[in-house]
Amino acid sequence: MSVSLTLNNVNKTFIKDGEEFHAVSDVNLSVNTGEFLTFLGPSGCGKTTTLRMVAGFEMPTTGSILMGDRDITYMPANERNIGFVFQNYALFPHMKIFDNVAYGLRVRGESKTDIARKVREGLALVGLEKAEERYPNQLSGGEQQRVALARVLVLRPSLLLMDEPLSNLDAKLRIHMRSEIRRIQQELSLTCLYVTHDQKEALTMSDRIMVMNRGRIEQVGTPMEIYADPASAFVADFIGQANLIPGTLVAEEGDIGVFETHGVHVKARLGCQTPPAVGKEALLIVRPENLSFAESDNALPIVVEHCLFEGDRLDYQARLAAEGAADKLEMSVPFLPGTQIHADGTNIKVSFQPHGAVIIAK
Amino acid sequence: MVNSLSQRPRLDPLTRAVVAALWLALGIFVLYPAFRLLWLAFWVEGKFSLANFAPVITNWYDRMALWNSLLLGGAVAVSGTLLGFSFAYAVTRLSLPTWFSMALSAVSMLPLISPPFTSSIALTLSLGPNGILIKLFGLQDFNFYGFWGTFLSETLTFYPVAFMTLTTILSRIDSNLEDAAYSMGASPLRVFRTVTLPLAAPGLANAFLLVFACSLADFATPLVLAGHSFPVLPTQAYLQITGMYDLKGGAALSFMLLVPALIVYGLQYHWLSKKSFVTVSGKAGGRSSVKGPGPVPTALLLAFLTFVAVFILYIYALIFIGSVVRVWGINNTLTFENYKYVFNFGRKAIYDTLIIACVGTPIGGLLSVLVGYATERLKVKGHKTLETVSLLNFALPGTVVGIAYVVAFNSKPLILTGTVTILIASYVFRYDSAGIRNVIAALQQIDPSIEEASASLGASSARTFRKVTLPLVLPAVLAGMRYLFIHSMTAISATIFLVSVRWSLITTRILECMTELQFAQACAFSIVLIILVFIASGFMALLAKLLCRTGNSGGGVR
Repeated sequence: MSVSLTLNNVNKTFIKDGEEFHAVSDVNLSVNTGEFLTFLGPSGCGKTTTLRMVAGFEMPTTGSILMGDRDITYMPANERNIGFVFQNYALFPHMKIFDNVAYGLRVRGESKTDIARKVREGLALVGLEKAEERYPNQLSGGEQQRVALARVLVLRPSLLLMDEPLSNLDAKLRIHMRSEIRRIQQELSLTCLYVTHDQKEALTMSDRIMVMNRGRIEQVGTPMEIYADPASAFVADFIGQANLIPGTLVAEEGDIGVFETHGVHVKARLGCQTPPAVGKEALLIVRPENLSFAESDNALPIVVEHCLFEGDRLDYQARLAAEGAADKLEMSVPFLPGTQIHADGTNIKVSFQPHGAVIIAK
Repeated sequence: MVNSLSQRPRLDPLTRAVVAALWLALGIFVLYPAFRLLWLAFWVEGKFSLANFAPVITNWYDRMALWNSLLLGGAVAVSGTLLGFSFAYAVTRLSLPTWFSMALSAVSMLPLISPPFTSSIALTLSLGPNGILIKLFGLQDFNFYGFWGTFLSETLTFYPVAFMTLTTILSRIDSNLEDAAYSMGASPLRVFRTVTLPLAAPGLANAFLLVFACSLADFATPLVLAGHSFPVLPTQAYLQITGMYDLKGGAALSFMLLVPALIVYGLQYHWLSKKSFVTVSGKAGGRSSVKGPGPVPTALLLAFLTFVAVFILYIYALIFIGSVVRVWGINNTLTFENYKYVFNFGRKAIYDTLIIACVGTPIGGLLSVLVGYATERLKVKGHKTLETVSLLNFALPGTVVGIAYVVAFNSKPLILTGTVTILIASYVFRYDSAGIRNVIAALQQIDPSIEEASASLGASSARTFRKVTLPLVLPAVLAGMRYLFIHSMTAISATIFLVSVRWSLITTRILECMTELQFAQACAFSIVLIILVFIASGFMALLAKLLCRTGNSGGGVR
């Protein structure tokens, strides 16, 4: 019963205090049946607005939204057969859990026995069989979240939409709920759109991630593609941590490029999303955990500025030690008792795997 | 060190003196009159007796007054709550153009700051003898005095109370709840029935009780519109005292009014103390996407509300027109004679009213801060009682307070009748309730840690109060002072018993004009009063804006 979803050139402009605000610009996206797709981005990037347009709570200023082949752009929300899970759960505080979960089934006019059976199944699916007679304020945050999920799942929606559903939970519960939600979504093979600003959540749960910034799509891809092959400096920095070093691409050797910054030459993989051109300005993206003190040709000279002991790792803050360079570098090396620690002010070379780093056009 | 939790910090001498002064003031102007009233009502010939109530029980006319009061209160509460809810729903839930919802709110605020006779006068001018609507529709033998006139006038006067209460409640309901229901397939009408309405129920009950209490205590409207066929308790008590000089009978009658008033107060307290469903949680989802109950009901509702709003504006227009014609409905030539009359023969009343309001308002502001701070922050011994006593005069119907003041201050040891003190005291101790409640609510919202921060930075408690607490509660204090000022200018029910030759009020002058059928002069007085209230209210709002520019940043306010 799940469906695919297509967004064509969707734009949303708000008028606030007499000024136009472009919340969502030219979003094109197609979501496959049964896919778990996450909208990831900082707050105010337009991800929630996009989700609310799919839900029918907002109307796009221009563009269209298709569910399967059907245009639903201006269809009222109560006719779309979607399930929406809110950040604050939005459980009806004046109804018992049973009545909360039964709400949509009653709207459809299903028989009493069907409703009772489906509500039980729904609550069993989220592991809350015994909460039927309670009120929402008698449940913990995690339980309320699961009721909110059960409430939409019993309706077997064609599309499941979730707006930062885990952000009000504590860290441990959040990790547990991630796998719960993913399990249920796969079990029912639901098409699911999920909004979050938590990159770990996006990376662990999604089939694909759409990274948004300032109302625009920065990149759409699988979690690994996005991590390994970021399309922009923003994506590289937002997903995981990244050192961004500006310089020039001087040569290409197959999928490997030679990158020059302040007279230092290093090799790294060429990005596929926004490939740089030889002789043009480029950006070297190297993750802190890719840098090490191991001897290698592919190395950058640095001056250690500060070292933080993190338990299992050492986090170094350093500066590129080249003529006229002021670029900061962060590196993170594993720590075991006995690992050598480089004091502040040490001049040393740090190396990295060429395939682990990536060069993109600036 | 038996129980450190119950230990309060020792109060310094200054604070002790202030608390003692508060109790003394409240004792004299709240408890003492109430006690004297009870004494007079129940103490006959040296022993406890119900003899004074015998006429009230046996006299069919007085009995009718009691039933009429309850009937009228119930009817006005139902219609006022419905009307208030309709306005509040339109303003908070329909996607109206900003100017339109602002206009609806503004019109609904008008009756709140108007003198008590406004709608009665206007309705008399339109539906009474020679009324323009009567003439327009050619109605014969239409008697509008009695239940229907009073009911209509009180509904228009008191629905704003319900509107304010319900606007707050409705705007606090998380719009995500409505969106959730909507996305599960519910029609807008079903969302309204199953989500919006049940969540607004506590607010509806509260609004009902508030309007009921207002109608029960209302004195001005029935005096003008009820007539002899429809007696109600407040007017009966007034006539008993001013017409028959029967203070005991009046006290007994007003006591009958006290019982339902106290029941309403108790119910309301009970209701509000219960945990409410309305919660502010998560991120504010903004306005719900459910745009009203569908196009046809929305259009009907808006048409009805527009009609009501236009009717209210018509009332004010009528008062104005009434003030510039010679004799309403007979001789419609324009004239400024009425205003000349007001400024010649009413100048003293205008001055007196302004003096009383201007003296009372700062006293009220100080009182609200002191009571609020003593009960909410210092938690002095008996702070709950202090709070209740300070709000008591407001819970009582104005007529009861007025009679109690007459009873208490007309004889030794404290003779105050005829002085300005008694007028100011009756206003301050009655209408400062809004300020006291505001200050308590504001103090509850200020995190104590911000005062602790000031203390830990080395500030004395006096300095902390002056530099930290006071600026943060100032908006609440000023809002309370504005309320007190407006009511000091427009209220009549309590002070009608307290005016004298030396001190008169605009409101009592309006009443005199009404009883002498000088409608044009009554209109002119009303217009002058409305303008004065508008100026004062605007001035207070401006003052609040200037003084509290930094107080609204929200820093440290939970």
